[in-house]
Amino acid sequence: MKTILQLVKKDYKLFLKDKVALSLTFIIPMVLIALFGAVFGGAGDFEKLSLGFVNQSSSKVAKTIETTLDTTKTFRLIKSYKNEKGETVLYDSNTIKTAVMSGKFSAAIVLPEDAFTDTSSSLKMKFYYDPKNDMESQVIQGVLQQTIMQSIPEVFTQSMQKKSESFLGKDTGKMFNSEMNKTISKYFKVDTSEIYGNMNKGTTKKSTDTTKSKKGGFNMFDNMLNLEKYQLVGKQVTNPMATRSVGGWAMMFLLFSLAGASRSLFEEKQSGVMIRLLSSPVTRTQILWSKYLYNMSIGIIQLVVLFFGGMLLFKIDVLSNFANLFLLIIASSIACTAFGMFLASFTKTSAQANGLGTLLILTMSAVGGSWFPVSMMPETIQFFSKFTITYWSIEGFQAVLWRGSGFVEILPYLGTLLGIGIIVNVISYINFKRGNIFQN
Amino acid sequence: MIQLKNVNKSFSTVKALDDVSLEINGGEFFGLLGPNGAGKSTTMSILIGYLAADSGNIFINGEEVKTDELNFRKEIGFVPQSIALYDELSAEENLKIFGSLYGLPKPELEEAMNSYLNAVGLYDRRKEEVRNYSGGMKRRLNLITALLHKPKVLLCDEPTVGVDPQSRNAIFDFLEKLNADGLTIVYTTHYMEEAERLCNRVAIIDSGKIIALGTPDELLQMLPTSEHIYITKNDATVSNVNVFKSYGEIIDNNDRYELRLNKESKLSSFFGALENANVNVQNVTIQKPTLEELFLNLTGKRLRD
Repeated sequence: MKTILQLVKKDYKLFLKDKVALSLTFIIPMVLIALFGAVFGGAGDFEKLSLGFVNQSSSKVAKTIETTLDTTKTFRLIKSYKNEKGETVLYDSNTIKTAVMSGKFSAAIVLPEDAFTDTSSSLKMKFYYDPKNDMESQVIQGVLQQTIMQSIPEVFTQSMQKKSESFLGKDTGKMFNSEMNKTISKYFKVDTSEIYGNMNKGTTKKSTDTTKSKKGGFNMFDNMLNLEKYQLVGKQVTNPMATRSVGGWAMMFLLFSLAGASRSLFEEKQSGVMIRLLSSPVTRTQILWSKYLYNMSIGIIQLVVLFFGGMLLFKIDVLSNFANLFLLIIASSIACTAFGMFLASFTKTSAQANGLGTLLILTMSAVGGSWFPVSMMPETIQFFSKFTITYWSIEGFQAVLWRGSGFVEILPYLGTLLGIGIIVNVISYINFKRGNIFQN
Repeated sequence: MIQLKNVNKSFSTVKALDDVSLEINGGEFFGLLGPNGAGKSTTMSILIGYLAADSGNIFINGEEVKTDELNFRKEIGFVPQSIALYDELSAEENLKIFGSLYGLPKPELEEAMNSYLNAVGLYDRRKEEVRNYSGGMKRRLNLITALLHKPKVLLCDEPTVGVDPQSRNAIFDFLEKLNADGLTIVYTTHYMEEAERLCNRVAIIDSGKIIALGTPDELLQMLPTSEHIYITKNDATVSNVNVFKSYGEIIDNNDRYELRLNKESKLSSFFGALENANVNVQNVTIQKPTLEELFLNLTGKRLRD
């Protein structure tokens, strides 16, 4: 037993001496737990999902719906945009559709002029959506319907009473309403005061879904809401689920393989190959460029293979917009390779590169949207997600595969990825010059 | 051919090279002898432009050696201490990769490859993965990889570490032939036998300083004694031990005496004196002094300490 304890003591001693192992064991998991908690912690709240909103109706009901949606914790109503001259312009039914189609926000509500008139028996609404993110889309629709249905019964009750009064005259209308309450009370054995309460709790909808048929249920408020749904983007996509997720997973694997490839610099140093290379007519810059080009080409091949694999296995439509997809693949590989070189330039050993690489890749994947939609994360995390390569690549891949975006539309993604690649490369190069990879 | 002028190099607080100056002539087989950590590999790293010296100048064939300078590198071949090869590739593939960095035309590279593979006995196994090679074979391949571009100077940093005696001798023979053909060789080692066998001139380095420089014979002249004579004890030798004392320092080693002959004493006169004194010597061993002794004499420690 004493021998075993001595051996255990020895292992502790070695472990405590290895700072990298120490940080991998304690610090990195703590950082990741905190990070994932922040990312997924937002899932229950769904705070401030962006929802485009146009109210063309002058009715009181429409105004009530707008006020209710405006004050809800879930939605941030976007009613205007800045035009080319920098002027704030209210969305109309056309511009809001364009905004959804271009990916500015993934859903919009339009209350048309005839949303609710004096002769209306139901509230008419148009719902435009882009289910590029299934989870977000379902949450928006669910919360939207719940919010509207909670607020309309009171409006409708008042509206019905007004209607009867206007149709029958004020006194007769009041009598009619009173008699109606008594009749319901008599036959349904409830207090008249409860009737309004029960009415207020009722929910119903009449949905005209342009993508699928819908059979509405029957209750007191059936037919009160006439919600016309229009899926503006992605109807042509054969496998929505796979198309939405392929970019995120491909990026995570790309980062892992390129971070691994960058470790070859350490391996060459360790084996003595680096010193042999540098004794030949080869400069340090040439070695770095060769590594960069090699890793980048591997990244391009890997992404192409992954997307074609997705095409064969999940029928993802890769070919119809392949030129733009390929440009994004190149830009993503450039940025990810720069990340790998950055790792190698900042660390001193292969083990350190491995540890730091894992931390950064998991962080970027979580924050950048590989696993979970960025739009559903807390606002702080959403802010930081824009500093990750993953975010710009995934958004770009979605633009190409989901919306069929053209070259001009993907320019922001290409530009950002290339910009990240250039900046990170310059930092890495400076670091390589001062670092120890080319030293004893 | 090679000049180091007042070269200094430190790693944080450790002074790796302390004002090192050397001049190595064309065609020499020059040895840099010293214990581990003496500064041999640092000198090599500076000579090949891998490390920059903190101060001082280095020239090879008139070209100044700098980390970002490439011209002088075509003139040198470097054999690293470690086996700097891609294990998963064959000997031929390794040679092609490293040879191509010198811009050799394909036929010239092929010819050099075949010639050197033959010379070190690896031609028949040139297509095998290096991982399957023995230590000695890897060392030989490691050596010829530095020769494909026909350098004027070959810098060998302890190229026989961990090699069996047979392979070591084969490497020595090969290096001696290269030197005989006119190649300048700089060879670092902590084995004095290697330096004594191979080198025309040797610099002894310790703690980053050159403490002795010259041909092996010149260096041995720095010792206060010359040959060591071991004489087995018997009645005659014990009773005449005073005769020995006048020729040098006597050390009593239990069953035998060790006489460290004074530099001015001659072996012939010592044995003549024994004969005159009728000392019947039964077993005598004569040993030449070594560079190891010189190192011990200069530094108070052994080469392999």
